[in-house]
Amino acid sequence: MKYYIKLALILFIFCAVASGILAYVNTLTASVIAERKAQEEISTREELIPGAVFTEAKTADGTSYFVANNPETKEVLGYSFISEEIGYSSTLRTMVGVDKDFNVLAIRVIDQAETPGLGANCVLESFTHQFTGMNKDNLKVDKDGGAVKSLSGATITSRAIANSIRNSILAVQSELATGVSQ
Amino acid sequence: MSFIKELSKGIIKDNPTFVLVLGMCPTLAVTTSVVNALGMGLAATFVLICSNIIISLIKNITPSKIRIPVYIVVIAAFVSIVDMVMSAYLPALHKSLGLFIPLIVVNCIILGRAEAFASKNNVFLSIADAIGMGLGFTLSLSVVATIREILGAGTWLGMRVVASNYDPMLIAILAPGAFITLGFLMALMNMLKEKK
Amino acid sequence: MGYFGELFVMAMTAIFIQNFVLSRFLGLCPYLGVSKKLDSALGMGMAVIFVMTLASAITFLINKYLLLQFGLMYLQTIAFILTIAALVQFVEMVIQKNAPALYKSLGVFLPLITTNCAVLGVAIINTTAFRSDGITPYNFLDSTLNGFFSGVGFTFVLLAMAGIRQRLEKVDLPKSMRGMPIALVLAGIMALAFYGFMGFKI
Repeated sequence: MKYYIKLALILFIFCAVASGILAYVNTLTASVIAERKAQEEISTREELIPGAVFTEAKTADGTSYFVANNPETKEVLGYSFISEEIGYSSTLRTMVGVDKDFNVLAIRVIDQAETPGLGANCVLESFTHQFTGMNKDNLKVDKDGGAVKSLSGATITSRAIANSIRNSILAVQSELATGVSQ
Repeated sequence: MSFIKELSKGIIKDNPTFVLVLGMCPTLAVTTSVVNALGMGLAATFVLICSNIIISLIKNITPSKIRIPVYIVVIAAFVSIVDMVMSAYLPALHKSLGLFIPLIVVNCIILGRAEAFASKNNVFLSIADAIGMGLGFTLSLSVVATIREILGAGTWLGMRVVASNYDPMLIAILAPGAFITLGFLMALMNMLKEKK
Repeated sequence: MGYFGELFVMAMTAIFIQNFVLSRFLGLCPYLGVSKKLDSALGMGMAVIFVMTLASAITFLINKYLLLQFGLMYLQTIAFILTIAALVQFVEMVIQKNAPALYKSLGVFLPLITTNCAVLGVAIINTTAFRSDGITPYNFLDSTLNGFFSGVGFTFVLLAMAGIRQRLEKVDLPKSMRGMPIALVLAGIMALAFYGFMGFKI
């Protein structure tokens, strides 16, 4: 019995030391991860709507979006937000920039882990550039009667991106509409 | 001299992938591009070197009854460190390797080397063994990934290497291509061995 | 869609659409190593189903009530693998004591399961998985059943592979293709067949 207690104790010491080291590494890396993520979002947003200053706002259900203003005239240039939807094998996060009439200026897929060679091609310029100029009425994949040309062999991924953008546009738009009437 | 011997055996003679047939899951899953293969290979090499050092150092104070759980704790600790560091400094690679980073823990190569080599030899030789095996693993991953990336995407390390009118053979980058590529590579290795 | 429909989707996904072996590349070592004979493949499959179901249940509880509760997510890998190792050891002891007949058929496979990445894989996948509506995270029952269905998916392709390989022994193959190479090519063709299920959205 004593022998087993000794074994358990040794194993416990190893676990404790390992956990301690991991806790230390975690404190070092956690802030770097958070900071890099935030930095990346800021720079992507500036690429989507160049030359604007952004102010954060929140919709009623808590998702945040950004209002882009012209730095001099303060007039509203457009809006930027992150759309999320589950694709084929991962959650797709797309950052979207729209003008003040909610026509898409540009999009960028910022987070995905779809199938390499198929869905993962959604990050390519050749897929994302077609979204420019689209609006809530034609933001659907071609199979659903919209204007988005699906990636070959990855309809689910394409549909998830198109639908998530359309939903976000509708959400922000209705939010703004109620704000005006108040 | 023996340092060189232990180091070189992992690269060709006892190559973990082609000869020992260990660590199949990452070999097939992450070899869709050479960048991923190198990332996975080097991450596993790092874990292998660190765990071999520690296990070789503690071999006299671990009772043999609980040695496997102790090894697993050591390996899992280093894997978690790699996981966190990669997520902080190489986020794109971390995302595309995804699930397979934590799964380095159960990569049979690492536990296998801990049990078969590091627990019986001194630190110096264990490091040589780890570097050799790690490089052998990285090399095999890169070979598989090179074939798959060139055939399946027409690129190598992201650079275009075949004429731009080449229509990529998509199957090479998808799951079936992984199995078939590795199968034929192993057959090739067998053929070369027979010829000798 | 009721809970029954949800279960159907989960089962179809785990067994066919995102098969653990052929589409997610998990559990390949036993898939290639223990598929030479049908009866040993069956033994391995049953042992994997058993351990995966139990491991999914226990790791779900650990994740929810220990790791998430106290913000210890960075210990996930170490906690899960230790749990699985201890679980396998425990199952081995219990079966050995109470069901010697079962132990005879499963016993040799149990130690191998600790390093089967499908078990750790399903535990980690469960922590980030959602139901088909895309919003509700898996609860305790979902996780456990997902473990079970994933194990069934593994066993299914393992048995298919073993069946083919048993017949393959009578085939006159080029010497360098025998054994592992032909098994891998076979797996490739099976994976290709399973791509037919891809894109099904139930």
